[in-house]
Amino acid sequence: MSTFFLEIITPEKTFFRGEVESVNIPCLRGACTIMAGHQPMVFATEPGSLLLTIDGETREAFMSEGFIEVRPDETIVFSQAVEWPEEINERRAAEAKERAEEQLRRNRSAAEYRLNRLALQRAFARLQVKQHNHLSE
Amino acid sequence: MADIAEIKHRIKSIQDTHQITKAMELISVAKMRKAIQKQIFSSVYFDSVRYTLKDIMRHSTDIQNQYIRHRPDNRTAYIVIAGDKGLAGAFNSNVLNLAWRHMQARPVHYVITIGQMARAFFEAKHQPVDLEFTHAVASPTLHDARGIMRDIIELYDRNLMDEIYIVFTRMHSTSAHEPEMVKLLPIEEKDIAVDVKTTFSGEICYDPSPHEVLDVLVPQYLVGMIYSALINSSASEHASRMMAMSNANKNAEAMLNALNLEYNRGRQSAITTELLDLSSCRFFSENNPSQTGNTE
Repeated sequence: MSTFFLEIITPEKTFFRGEVESVNIPCLRGACTIMAGHQPMVFATEPGSLLLTIDGETREAFMSEGFIEVRPDETIVFSQAVEWPEEINERRAAEAKERAEEQLRRNRSAAEYRLNRLALQRAFARLQVKQHNHLSE
Repeated sequence: MADIAEIKHRIKSIQDTHQITKAMELISVAKMRKAIQKQIFSSVYFDSVRYTLKDIMRHSTDIQNQYIRHRPDNRTAYIVIAGDKGLAGAFNSNVLNLAWRHMQARPVHYVITIGQMARAFFEAKHQPVDLEFTHAVASPTLHDARGIMRDIIELYDRNLMDEIYIVFTRMHSTSAHEPEMVKLLPIEEKDIAVDVKTTFSGEICYDPSPHEVLDVLVPQYLVGMIYSALINSSASEHASRMMAMSNANKNAEAMLNALNLEYNRGRQSAITTELLDLSSCRFFSENNPSQTGNTE
């Protein structure tokens, strides 16, 4: 299968660099898979799981909100945070989920609602990625 | 002739101060390096955010975004970033005076301070501080930047201000840093400075739409701007402290040299006087043996 060069960048570090076969990303309108030879495009994403396929093997990672730029020569994923399942702190995510739910129950303004919903989405996505990989281990 | 004991005391006290300034210089060097390192890591990310934002603004004409729409600019908010501590040469006063000068030209202005020195400055000028962020100066983190961004966006959403400027010190090199003022909101294409050269210059599609991509980008752009301002400011603070301290070290060394010379001179002249006393005594006793014999 043909591959393309993918880079995943967060403000703190370069998370990943290398050739991949395909990458599945959590776009705003649902998951999307990018393969080699894709049209140049920019996708906005929401917190969710990122699936990387390298040499026929698929790995899952958590991805926070960000965007993805597909260029003819390379594809770059920009995100506030990207984590492998083993890097996710499950207890922290569970706590964040409870906090976000509590905040959502008594949200005061539209802006606050948006923030809390994003926080909840992040917590859900982290837990989901973690749990998927518990099963496969 | 100055008292030798007194000079000795002064030498001791200067040596103590010298030790402190030397330690401070070393600490500043290390902290500055760390800040620069952080900036390098984050700049790749935020430069791309800026580039994409600029690209969207250039290519799409009908953008409706409240952070881009221009409001009549009457009410201006200033985010002023200074240090938590002094002892850094003219670092604090340069950036604070720039903000102060610009503020005087605006009829309505709000002041948001980051850093103890900034707050103290505006309090001394009887300018009420509307909002204050603490703990963000010493070692800025992305988390701090996100918190600041959220609070500022909330104020802007409530239509309390028309434009927001951020005043900080940009670091060009270890020895060159100058205060700078950057407009944060509303975002204008000409305000976005990018030096990223992309290899691809054709038309890019945006999914789901340029508008929605923009919604995701704007908060990240603001976080990036605030974070880089915080980091630049902290790197410049450490750089100016490093320079101030290295000057202090040089002065201390010069003073120690002068004082040591004086001390040695004083000691030498004391020895000379003592020798003179002894030899004149001996000379006297040798020439008058009868007299000494008499007294015994």
